[in-house]
Amino acid sequence: MKDKLTKEEVLHVLDLARLNASDSEIEKYQVELYKMIKEIDKIKDLHDFDEELMIAPWENSSCLRNNEQVKLENKDILKNVPNKKGNFVSVLVEVLKDE
Amino acid sequence: MSKYLDLSIESIHELLLDKKIKPIDLVNESFERINNNKLNAFITIDYEGARKMAIELEKEEVEKDNLLFGLPIAIKDNIMVQDLKCTCASHILENFISVYDASVVELIKEKKMIIIGKTNMDEFAMGSTSETSYFGVPINPWNKNKVPGGSSGGSAVCVASRITPFALGSDTGGSIRQPSSFTGIVGMKPTYGRVSRFGLVAFASSLDQIGPMTRNVYENALLLNIISKKDEKDLTSFETNEDFTRLINKDIKGLKIAIPNYFVSDIVESKVLDKLNEIILLLKNKGCIVEYVDINHIDKAVILYQIIAMGEASSNLARYDGIRYGLKENASSLEELYKKTRSLGFGTEVKRRIMVGSYILSGENANIYYNKAMQIRDDLKKSFENIFKDYDLIIGPTSSRVAYDLNKENTDPLKCFLDDILVMHANMGGFPSMSLPMGFIDNLPIGMQIMGNRLDEARMYQLASFIEKELNLNLEVGDINE
Repeated sequence: MKDKLTKEEVLHVLDLARLNASDSEIEKYQVELYKMIKEIDKIKDLHDFDEELMIAPWENSSCLRNNEQVKLENKDILKNVPNKKGNFVSVLVEVLKDE
Repeated sequence: MSKYLDLSIESIHELLLDKKIKPIDLVNESFERINNNKLNAFITIDYEGARKMAIELEKEEVEKDNLLFGLPIAIKDNIMVQDLKCTCASHILENFISVYDASVVELIKEKKMIIIGKTNMDEFAMGSTSETSYFGVPINPWNKNKVPGGSSGGSAVCVASRITPFALGSDTGGSIRQPSSFTGIVGMKPTYGRVSRFGLVAFASSLDQIGPMTRNVYENALLLNIISKKDEKDLTSFETNEDFTRLINKDIKGLKIAIPNYFVSDIVESKVLDKLNEIILLLKNKGCIVEYVDINHIDKAVILYQIIAMGEASSNLARYDGIRYGLKENASSLEELYKKTRSLGFGTEVKRRIMVGSYILSGENANIYYNKAMQIRDDLKKSFENIFKDYDLIIGPTSSRVAYDLNKENTDPLKCFLDDILVMHANMGGFPSMSLPMGFIDNLPIGMQIMGNRLDEARMYQLASFIEKELNLNLEVGDINE
């Protein structure tokens, strides 16, 4: 009987979450994530409920704010940018080749 | 050391009005207590900003009708305060500085309250002990070997040890109420939408809510008066303008109170149930009608919470990419940058939840898990609404046991979800729920939960004020530094 995820399954989940892990961490995740997924899998056994969805406990009908610009200065926003050039956020350039 | 902060806020206000003390005296006393107690309740302490504001307030007349004028307050470190760090207790935001005030912080500043710092917490509010903080765990002042609860553990410790009379916390599945129970204070998770979430760093957006944590019921209601307001920047907030203190100390005779059988089942330790039974007797003797009820789907809340909270968390935390703000690791490709930054920046608990959350939302799994959870969540909410057709309030224990040992149970990935097994229903349905102290077990405080229908906070405070007055518990921790 299965008691942990395979290494490949953990690698897939790590990829979905944009995370890396060492071999020892992967071994740990194989057991921990298995436990967690086994727990949420219990929802598959639940059948007695209505089809109506509740996305949020929120009953407001209007959902548009005033058409006003948020008052934030560029220099303030840029304070927290780890890599910048002048007034711009600097991002790694990647050229993707067609396979 | 002065002890103004042990006085009632009415007494402090009188002293301010009579010019016997100044706001700077209160601020200095808060700082002195922080430094003496060494409880690690704070991640950032704003010595300079708080003292500057206190001195500026000396130029103003003390506002006679504003009991909160000049009083110190602490803010959980996932709520933005302009020019202060907002770390969410995470390495990934260790050096992030807020560039604006959260809407609740604007309201607090309008009332001339003085923010003395940002409180410690579980990383991104994920946890129930505050042990997942990158900055070390805050200490429970009742027993330094016990957890303070979480995720708003720093705010709870701050109020319990009387560093400030007030703190703000956030509650996604019990994160205000459970630490309030473990530290002997009053904590309220208001109705979803009562308090703006603009400026609260999102964990699970359909569950998150900011709320007040205080020494007593009246001060809690007073702070909720201030922070509840419709906000155009949070489209889930609603028009709200009421005095939550209006029913405090009013007669509770005839109130109909329900106790879900699940809340008094064998998931709760017997000593905790004994304390609750004392309260039930008290209420019956006062003329309340107290009855036990079954609530459909109540035992499913943990599974729903896990799915919804982890799914929404994985989506909300996708923004930490090492590009726009926060930690950045060196890398040769974007993919490598994301993965290296996030792997180094997030702690174990957060990473586990993001992984499972990403799995929940991936491909067909979104239907199998998330959509189904939202369907059952709707049923659960309706089940509670049906109870509120016949009863005014629901009560039960806040937590199944008192605060437990530090570093003892933090390796089980499922454990922290079970800590909130009695309180997460309120987040599921958007209902208000509060914790107030109901006694001591083995010299540790334990809280009870009062849950109301949507918008019924004033009635919850009415019942809470009666219980608080009748029990008249001594909740002063004493000299912690000894």
